[in-house]
Amino acid sequence: MFETINIAKGVNVHVNETTQFKTINFSIKFKDKLTKEKASARSILANVLQHSNEVYPSHTALRMVLDDLYGTSLYIDSSKRGNEHVVTLNVETVNDQYLSEKGVLEKVLNLMYIVLFKPNFENGLFKESIFTREKHSIVQRIESVFDEKTRYAQQRMMELALPNHPASITSNGTIEIVESVTNEQLVAEYNEMISQNEIEIYAVGDVKPEMIASYIREFFHFKDREKAIAVPPMELVKPEQPRVLEFEDMKQGKLHMAFFTPITFRDEKFPIMQLMNGVFGGYAHSKLFVNIREKESMAYYVSSSFASQFGLMFVLAGIDSKLEEKAVTLVLEQLEEVKKGNISDVELDQTKALLVNQLKEALDSARGQIDIYDQYMELTDRFEPEYMINKWKNVTKEDIASVAQELSLEMTYFLSGKEDETNA
Amino acid sequence: MHKVEFEQLEETLFHEKLDNGLTVYILPKKGFSKTFATFTTKYGSIDNHFVPQGGSEPIKVPDGIAHFLEHKMFEKEEGDVFQEFSKQGAAANAFTSFTRTAYLFSATGEIDENVKTLLDFVQSPYFTEKTVEKEKGIIAQEITMYDDQPDWRLYFGIIENMYKNHPVKIDIAGTVESIQDITAEHLYTCYNTFYHPSNMVLFIVGNVDPDQMMALVKEDQAQKTFEEPTEITRIYPEEPKEVAIKERVLEMSVQKPKVFYGIKPEKLDLIGPEMLKHELAAQLAYELLFGRTSDFYHHAYENDWIDESYSFDYSLEQGFGYALVGSDTHKPEVLIKEIKHTLQNAVEKWPFGQEDLDRVRRKKIGFFLRALNSPEYIANQFTNYAFNEMNLFDVVPVLEELEVVDLQNAFALVSHESQQSVFTIMPPKKDEQ
Repeated sequence: MFETINIAKGVNVHVNETTQFKTINFSIKFKDKLTKEKASARSILANVLQHSNEVYPSHTALRMVLDDLYGTSLYIDSSKRGNEHVVTLNVETVNDQYLSEKGVLEKVLNLMYIVLFKPNFENGLFKESIFTREKHSIVQRIESVFDEKTRYAQQRMMELALPNHPASITSNGTIEIVESVTNEQLVAEYNEMISQNEIEIYAVGDVKPEMIASYIREFFHFKDREKAIAVPPMELVKPEQPRVLEFEDMKQGKLHMAFFTPITFRDEKFPIMQLMNGVFGGYAHSKLFVNIREKESMAYYVSSSFASQFGLMFVLAGIDSKLEEKAVTLVLEQLEEVKKGNISDVELDQTKALLVNQLKEALDSARGQIDIYDQYMELTDRFEPEYMINKWKNVTKEDIASVAQELSLEMTYFLSGKEDETNA
Repeated sequence: MHKVEFEQLEETLFHEKLDNGLTVYILPKKGFSKTFATFTTKYGSIDNHFVPQGGSEPIKVPDGIAHFLEHKMFEKEEGDVFQEFSKQGAAANAFTSFTRTAYLFSATGEIDENVKTLLDFVQSPYFTEKTVEKEKGIIAQEITMYDDQPDWRLYFGIIENMYKNHPVKIDIAGTVESIQDITAEHLYTCYNTFYHPSNMVLFIVGNVDPDQMMALVKEDQAQKTFEEPTEITRIYPEEPKEVAIKERVLEMSVQKPKVFYGIKPEKLDLIGPEMLKHELAAQLAYELLFGRTSDFYHHAYENDWIDESYSFDYSLEQGFGYALVGSDTHKPEVLIKEIKHTLQNAVEKWPFGQEDLDRVRRKKIGFFLRALNSPEYIANQFTNYAFNEMNLFDVVPVLEELEVVDLQNAFALVSHESQQSVFTIMPPKKDEQ
């Protein structure tokens, strides 16, 4: 799928030369250790760099040049995976074969260089007005989570269950730290990101791997850097309170449950755990969906998900606030079924078929290819779908039951409407 | 079977109208492992007043019924259709909009079986009073979930403001109360009226051989019997030009105010190429006025009147449409004033020339080509366009022909003061806590 070319120590270019898409996609990923401080500063940095630069000194000037390049999309996002914080420059541009104008690709590569290497500095610092505005933008982004109650409930549960653990640190950091970051600190963070972070550069589209690699080698001047020492996943500590009930002014109750499992992404049982999650609550044929939604008519959404980087499994359901206890009981009953191995051949085959389908489908988008390759790089340097498909193939009901038995419920969080508070 | 080549886009589209009236489109995509199929009826939440199939008098049905029917299509006497798709490695889904109900799957294998399952389940209704009653709890939770989403409330709030009579103002899923009135008989009436093949489009895009796939669909349809196609009589109320409500505020559990500014289009009877030209021209005009390179955006962002949630859009259907501009904001009054001002200025003196048009046109072409990487976008969007008698693949040529005066003319129809409205969601007042 991808051809990898090393251009400096700790800097790799991965290219998938393909005519499948009408566009060319780039991602440049800067990887660092995940801490609240790093996440806060680097979120501001991502926004400041995508706002403007030395050559295009206003937001409008930069956006106009992107429009002129046939609406080339360019954004920098701040994300996390496991113990890592990742700043990614994402660019998608039309393959100029579909246009009357040629030479678009070179212009786009040059623009990526400008965005990363020619920031909007004033006396050695980021231009103050932009720095202040973008700090405020990140604060607003963090605050806005409250408006989406499912996301808010999940975040609340994680903060309460695993404070200071990478699993609960958000990719945007915290309001307090974002507000305290100084311009000097941000410049230091920028320099560290460019010269010390491990970098993975991806390109997908009708491009030659050698051409992309030599362009980046020649113009981007990424210097050698030390490979970060892999930090083992941080241990999960039992939450202080196993059950938390909170209230907001809303109509639906949001049930969130967190389970610990010793199995993570790196574990050889990882594919079994994926299947377990699928049988239990991952799909429309799963036990949670069939029993809690279809049989009991209690919920519109009810599902489980496996956060493999941390060894966590979550169950989420939107239910009537009065039915929390009943819902928890039903969820645990279904888990008990999985633990006992009460899984039909059909359930097992359906889950395998859908996992295969999901993986193959994800590879039908350039972003999907980049994300999956970047994630599996840790396990195999030549990722193909068969790598996972072969592992799922031989998993049995007994295997699934045995990983289910290792799950422990550690936290039940319920966000309920205020009406019921007064009724209670 | 007809074959249409879109040379510049390197796409070939195959299509045919079958004897029973069903329109089938097939778009092969090389290099893709997945196939995506949608089976869509031109029947959505706005079709609540119509002459039922076989009847002569118009009837009105409970709010939310098209969406309710969509849910119930998945349940059969022998069980749940999701199970069937899962066995065949397909992820199935469905959605109901104002004007359409679409059933879909995506799969990377067993495509023939999955296409047959899709056709079979949508063409074999099975409703009983018991299964209808059971669904009410699930849909009530779905409605409650949306009720708690401020962005959904904001969107419906502004539509309710803009439309006085048109059923677009009714929430697609109805209300917890309105769905209680739905019966199995209602569902059969709606099904028989709107799910005739002649009112439907099947779109298959992906890793398929067009000849083989068309033969399969034809054979499947030839084995089933349908009534003779009849013209469907849909009744929509008269809708005044001006908005119903100028301004409204709702209190909700949010961290800061949210504003949507809506502009109701003046001409709501466009269809076909005229509609396409107007919609694209108006979208470009709004891009110039409110897009990320506009003066408005620059000032609003740098002054902190808007944040990353900012959005704007223009969308037109037969009988309704809207331009929307909005954001989370600490300063709702200032933001509202500035949007109004921006519209007013452009009405008084059109500020854009050829260079501006060229730039946003390039942006729009690029956006369109990017979207063509997505089988989901192609199938959904193509079907939507087809129901409005437009061709999705005409977008680029029509964009290329637009002139500045077209943008001006389009904007003139979506800008008048009497067609403007504002909806605001406010956080709870402090003294009440």
